[in-house]
Amino acid sequence: MANEILTITIGAILVNNFVLSKFLGICPFLGVSKKIKTALGMSGAVVFVMTLASLVTALIYKFVLSRTFMIGGTAINLTFLKILVFIVVIASLVQLVEIILQKFSPPLYQALGIFLPLITTNCAVLGAAELNVQAGRGVIESTVFGLCSALGFSLALILFSSLREKLDLAQVPVPLQGTAIGLITAGILAMVFMGFSGLV
Amino acid sequence: MTIILTAFLFAVVLGALLALIIGFAAKAFAVETDPRIETVTDMLPGANCGGCGFAGCADFAKAIVEKGNAPTQCPVASPEDAERIAEYMGMKAEKKEKVVAVVKCSGCASTTVRSPYNGVGDCRSAVVVAGGAKGCDYGCIGFASCARACPFDAIEIRDGLAVVHPDLCVGCGKCVDTCPKNLIELVPASVDVHIYCNSPEKGALKRKVCQTACIGCRKCAKAADSEDQIHIKGFLLAVNYDNPPLPDLVEKAGCPTSALRLASKHAAGDYEKK
Amino acid sequence: MSDKPRKFKGGVHPNDSKALTASKAVQDAPLLDSYTVIVHQNIGAPPEIVVKKGDAVKKGDLLAKAAGFVSVPLHAPTSGTVKLIDKCAGPTCTMVPSIEIAADGEDAWGECMEPIADWQNTDPGVLKQRVADAGIVGMGGAGFPSHVKLSPPAGKKIDTLILNGAECEPYLTADHRLMLEETEKVVLGAAILARILGLKSAVIGVENNKPDAIEALQKVAGKYNVTVQGLRVNYPQGAEKQLIYALTGREVPIGGLPMDAGCVVQNVASAAAVADAVLDGRPLIERITTVTGEPLVNPGNWRFRLGTPVSKALELCGGIRVQPAKLLLGGPMMGFAQNSLDVTVMKNTSGILLIPVETASQYTSEPCIRCGRCVEACPMDILPATISQAVENERFDWAAQLNVMACIECGSCSYICPSHRPLNQQFKRAKAEIAAAKRKQAK
Repeated sequence: MANEILTITIGAILVNNFVLSKFLGICPFLGVSKKIKTALGMSGAVVFVMTLASLVTALIYKFVLSRTFMIGGTAINLTFLKILVFIVVIASLVQLVEIILQKFSPPLYQALGIFLPLITTNCAVLGAAELNVQAGRGVIESTVFGLCSALGFSLALILFSSLREKLDLAQVPVPLQGTAIGLITAGILAMVFMGFSGLV
Repeated sequence: MTIILTAFLFAVVLGALLALIIGFAAKAFAVETDPRIETVTDMLPGANCGGCGFAGCADFAKAIVEKGNAPTQCPVASPEDAERIAEYMGMKAEKKEKVVAVVKCSGCASTTVRSPYNGVGDCRSAVVVAGGAKGCDYGCIGFASCARACPFDAIEIRDGLAVVHPDLCVGCGKCVDTCPKNLIELVPASVDVHIYCNSPEKGALKRKVCQTACIGCRKCAKAADSEDQIHIKGFLLAVNYDNPPLPDLVEKAGCPTSALRLASKHAAGDYEKK
Repeated sequence: MSDKPRKFKGGVHPNDSKALTASKAVQDAPLLDSYTVIVHQNIGAPPEIVVKKGDAVKKGDLLAKAAGFVSVPLHAPTSGTVKLIDKCAGPTCTMVPSIEIAADGEDAWGECMEPIADWQNTDPGVLKQRVADAGIVGMGGAGFPSHVKLSPPAGKKIDTLILNGAECEPYLTADHRLMLEETEKVVLGAAILARILGLKSAVIGVENNKPDAIEALQKVAGKYNVTVQGLRVNYPQGAEKQLIYALTGREVPIGGLPMDAGCVVQNVASAAAVADAVLDGRPLIERITTVTGEPLVNPGNWRFRLGTPVSKALELCGGIRVQPAKLLLGGPMMGFAQNSLDVTVMKNTSGILLIPVETASQYTSEPCIRCGRCVEACPMDILPATISQAVENERFDWAAQLNVMACIECGSCSYICPSHRPLNQQFKRAKAEIAAAKRKQAK
């Protein structure tokens, strides 16, 4: 068990980093990485959402969606509702985060702006849930996977925002200013993370 | 059929459950925001220039709604905009006169450059090292720090001299803070006559370094309608903005160095020596 | 104090160029018709003028009295009449208040201060007051009032007096010639300064490119309990903090002064001026200046009175052979470029330098390539490349965090930068902006 958890951890954070290896969750990766402070706030929100989402969706999948029920003589299997249910759960969790954030940290709420509700459509969150189903993980492993993927996302986001803050101060040639140099840097960062392949 | 029903029921139950949780959270963590702040933010020009002294239009809107700041504090808002906001907030609308910036120097590079300058091309940097290329210690350095600071592109550098276009200037005051020689002054937009010199040195000394300096001959003061329309401070004269002279003073006085100018004509380049 | 001088971190090795004037003996400049003395010749408050137009003055008479503690008096360089109290070209390209004296040709001394022959038994306070009354400042270039340096506040224990004979700037040889030709005076000055500070000994630091000066000083130094220490040739060896480290191994804390390391540093020319003031009662009215540069016909070392115009100095050296790129007051690393030949010699004018077109940096600056040479060169161990980035982005808060206030403006980084970036100017600006912001906050 412990071995598996360790494998999931290292795998999710470094080897198969959601942003830099799987290229999921690029929207907030590019949109919220202008400042380290905002990136940290976004990371916190994503960790919260992804962990809980992985836990709740794993539970629902295990106890409701994967089972076959006998209702009125017919064998009912609700696996086809997977995507719908997952999205509804994720959306509710994001709404919760929004409410809590607006109350306890209005400046961060303002700073994240539109990217906070966009966590709902973040393919990383849904991706984690889906991958858990595909890999057939148990509830605890799914939660760990969700948590570690989120940590991997945070790592990539914080690294990238640190680089971007520095890029902001450098004399970038005019054709490359702004998003262009950001994407080039992200690409190089992705190549760097390729160095972890084969670790697990 | 059963499966559709079951799926539908399941979805409803799940939705209801989540809705309950969110509803509870919304009540428990409710945040009081005054909806007027958003409305006022929309009513403001939205330039986010900071001329009001606040961080941005949203910040200023908050101050208007919560602390009762006057909408006329915004230099970019037209009097009509300010009136609208005041009406909406139920405040008394006060009339504030529009101000514009004026760079009190007429020494362009052709008449004043003393020695070539080779350093950082920025006025605030030049002033710590020899003060630029021109001969006058009090004049415009001409390296465009003010022009770059202006959020409305109202300042043009013509032949090494900063010239404000009064029609583009909104009086936010960013240039005033930037100029290291404190050359720029905010004056009532209705006054068109200015004396474009800032040096208190003796007239003869000024003449040596600049062809368009005010030499303190006082012709303008004598030709003015009333005595206090022109302030006299030794060899430097200045327009009294509380009792300004009329635009025809420029013609009447016959300033020998054309330091006395009309802002509109100065912006159009009419005083440049061909 | 160990025998071997320590190597301070960083530094650069520009071409020495001292051969132009190192072997030329100091010549006394002939008496001029008039001297335009700049009033503010010291760090601190400018002295208050006590003469008026038309007054007759004798050589050494008071022209302006000290205004407060951090100020020094100004004395007439020759006898004559006060012709004009007005403004003249100043050393930072602005017009500054000046007093023009029309010389009467007599060059007669007025009432000098009482010579103190028995200084070894005179109260140090009296000696220090003499230093203040003579208008002595740091003649190496800084111009800081010497008597203030000699008055550390209670609680700062001083145990080392260092005389700065390093003269690390290229081209300059004024201190070198002084140490060779007036050796005894320099050592006497050191001894008097030691007495003022209550110390038994002093050390004179001289860069190893002046072996003759080291030898000459060593012959005399023993008599007065002064030691001479050769220093590695490394610019800016003559900078206070680097000098202290090389000679004592102590580091002056950031934002601190030499007294925080228990040391007082004085230039050798200032020491010689102290000897003149104490032994002969003479105020500071003249100094040795190196007038040099390849474009000059006949570079040399001259003794100029205060108020000698630079145009006259160039004339005395035979004028120029070829149009120079710049005229600097001081050395090529930290000197100030001038825009007028009417600027006059001051107490801290160690050099008048013409830079030829081939060596002046007229390059347009290019982006930083992060080579790190500036970081290697910086003697104060700060990061010029990063601070430059901060200044370019107008992030003066960040520049302050990077300790730009510790910068001594030595110019090593600008010199070594392959992209010819104007680093020194950027740091000057940063320091000005940070100081202005502090003043605004304090209000």
